[in-house]
Order: sequence, then C-alpha cells, then structure tokens
Amino acid sequence: MEKVKVMVVDDSKVSRAMIKGHLAKTNFEVCAEAKNAAEAVALYEENRPGIITMDMNLPDADGIECSRRIHAIDPDVKIVMISAMKDASLVATGREAGISAFLQKPISTNDLIDTMMVLCQNKVGKIAVLRESYAKAFVRALQQGIFSMIGVHSEVSLELDDRRFLDVSGIAVIIGLTGFPMGRAIVYMDVDTMNKFSAIMLNKDDPAGLEEDEASDTVEEAANIMVGRGVSNINDVFKDKEMRITPPGTIYGTNIRIASPKLTTFRITAETRIGKIYLNVGFAEGE
Amino acid sequence: MDAKLVNPFVDAFTSVMPQMGFQEPKRTKLYVREKNAVSRGVSVIVGFTKQIRGNVVYNMSVDTAKFIASTMMMGMPVNDFDTMAQSAISEMSNMLTANAATNLTGMGFEVDISTPSLTIGENFQVKISDTQYLTVEMDLGGQVVELDIAVDQQ
Repeated sequence: MEKVKVMVVDDSKVSRAMIKGHLAKTNFEVCAEAKNAAEAVALYEENRPGIITMDMNLPDADGIECSRRIHAIDPDVKIVMISAMKDASLVATGREAGISAFLQKPISTNDLIDTMMVLCQNKVGKIAVLRESYAKAFVRALQQGIFSMIGVHSEVSLELDDRRFLDVSGIAVIIGLTGFPMGRAIVYMDVDTMNKFSAIMLNKDDPAGLEEDEASDTVEEAANIMVGRGVSNINDVFKDKEMRITPPGTIYGTNIRIASPKLTTFRITAETRIGKIYLNVGFAEGE
Repeated sequence: MDAKLVNPFVDAFTSVMPQMGFQEPKRTKLYVREKNAVSRGVSVIVGFTKQIRGNVVYNMSVDTAKFIASTMMMGMPVNDFDTMAQSAISEMSNMLTANAATNLTGMGFEVDISTPSLTIGENFQVKISDTQYLTVEMDLGGQVVELDIAVDQQ
C-alpha cells in the first residue's frame, strides 16, 4: 500500500513544520503545503491528497470557505480542521462545509494520528492501517535487530499472511502483545539457522560448540529484544496507547502448527546468509 | 513462582467449565516442574504482563480438545480438529484466562493478558520459564487438561 498523502494548509510556516513533524515516522506523508486558500485549491487539484489539515485563519479566506471550495471538487475528501479555537458554532458550520474532524491547537501527535487513522480507515481499510502503522514497526525492528546482534545484513519483506496455520520446524518464540492493539508476535526459524544465529551471537566459531539449550535460549532472548524494539517503535508514535509485551513462551520440535484464530497477521521474512528468520505479527480484529 | 498464584487459575477452570456444559472438574495432580513441558498434542499459550508476568499453557491431547470443542458446541460431533474446533479451544482459553485475570485482580494485582496462540503437533517442547513452575492436572469428564502455570509477581 502507498502512503496516505496529506496536504497541510496553514499560513504559518512554524505550524506547517510542526504538523509535518507530528506525521514523521507514520504512514502519512505530507505531499503538499499551502499557505492560503487559493494555493490550497490549486495544490489539491494537482496532488489529490487523501487527507487535508486545515487552519482556520488564512490570508485570503477562512478555513471553512477553503474547505467548502475543496469539498466542491471532491465530496469524499477528508478534512481535519486544526485551529486555535473550537466551539460549537465553528463545528456546526465546519461540518456543513465538509470538515470531518476538529482539533484544537496545540495538538498532540496522538490526537492527530488517531483522528487521521479513523478518517482513513474507510478509505484505506483497517488492514492497511495495521500494516503501515503497526506491522512496519516490526519490519524495522527485525532488520535492525538482526544486524545489531549478529552483524548480518538481511533482505526483509512484509506480506499479509492469510494462511490458517504457521508451520514451524525448529524454534518459535511466542510473545504476547497487550494494550492496543492486542495480539502476539512469533519469531521462528529452522534449527540450522537457530544454531548459526546463536553461534555468531555468542562468538563461537562452530555451532557444534553450543551447549544444550544454549541455542534456543539465545534465540529466545534475541526474539525478546526484537519484538520489544518493535513495540517501542510503535509506542514512540502512539504515546498514549502503551503496548506491552509478555514474557516469551518458546516451542521447539518438528511439524508444529500454530493457529491464531481471529487475528490479522503479517509475515515478515528476513533472508540472511545464515537462513531465513521470520517474524509473524498478529493483531486482534475489531479493536 | 508463588503457589498462591495457582489458585486463581484452578478456580477459573472449576467455575468456568461447568458453565459451558461440563461436569464439575477435579484437580487430580499438582507438581513442580523444572524442565520444559511436552505438548500433549494441542497447547494454547497465553501471556501475562503488568504486575503478574509469565505464561500459562493449556495442554491437552487432540482427542480431549475435540471432546471439549464438541461439548462447547452443544454436543455437535467433532471428527477433525478443524477450524471451528480450534476456535472453540481458543475461546475456552480466552475465557479461562480472562476469568483467572479477574481473580488475580481481586487479589490486588493489575494484569493484562495477550491473545492465545494455539499450537498443534506431536511431542514438541514448550518452554515457559527459566525456573521452576507448577503443573496442575484437571480431570474433565474423564479427560485430562494440563495447566502449566509460570507466572510471577513483579
């Protein structure tokens, strides 16, 4: 999925920079910035952003008039008004002009992103939101984690996993996610990859030198670190919805199937020179 | 782990299961384990965090899982441990864990639980603790459901 394009309409350069800052590291990308109503209409036609943030006070017209003009071009456009004052009459006239949400300055990152996510859900779908704002945090965590712990580069891919089962022969470290959204992350790999991973992490030349349980304990700890980092990446953005991780539960054996009924799951694959390392992350639906 | 933390789980099991049409379950065994648990066929892992941290595993054979799923679905025959049966076992684990969490809250602990992960396979190992933990075996209408409980107070 592509990023959701956002246009920021505000006559203040500082306010525009602040909004841009709030949206950094998210799946919302500022594609256009307008400092007055005329520019906003022109840039809207040119860029067709999915969402617009609208200031109330503009030099050539107010935010409501500007919204009305853009709404006339596209009745489906999502406009969030960000203004210093917010009262009932502003909300009422704003709604008539096609504004979907109202935020009062100073805005928090959480409020802005939450509002935009809600507005976007109908447009881009819940799965896209989970993928962009949550699953991708684990993509970075997996790639950076593998590199920082064993110095190995990886090619990482992310896909929606609609299989009913995760098939594991080797090791799977299951870590629960609590808070919002709930779910679980599973880091898994085959025995050969587990042994090589652990040997490198523990500075042993040969995986044969690993003691009993040493390899699985090492992978368990590595998984814990990577999933923890993924959750931190999410908490960095959504500061009020603290996600937490439960201690790991680790399974090993051959031909194990793991089912996660009712979860929307994503499979992240890291291809490395020591084998494939997977991170499957699932989120409870309907949250 | 602290033995007093086992009761909330046993109590949850004995109070929730009869509501779903089972006979009164009985606790048949309680022992300390140091090593990994071995799956009986179907193992559901649920994690805990906040003031109580750890994992609980509901461990049973495929036949027991089918028996439970069938009873939960008003006696509907369950020949294969299929998606519907898996959902039933997941749901049961959810209910038991949520009930145990409520019991823990009643003891003054703040807890959060994860979604259950249902694992199926033969003779795979399940590691939920670096140290000792407790296993409780419950008799449920002649079937055995093992609860592996490794939770600690923070």
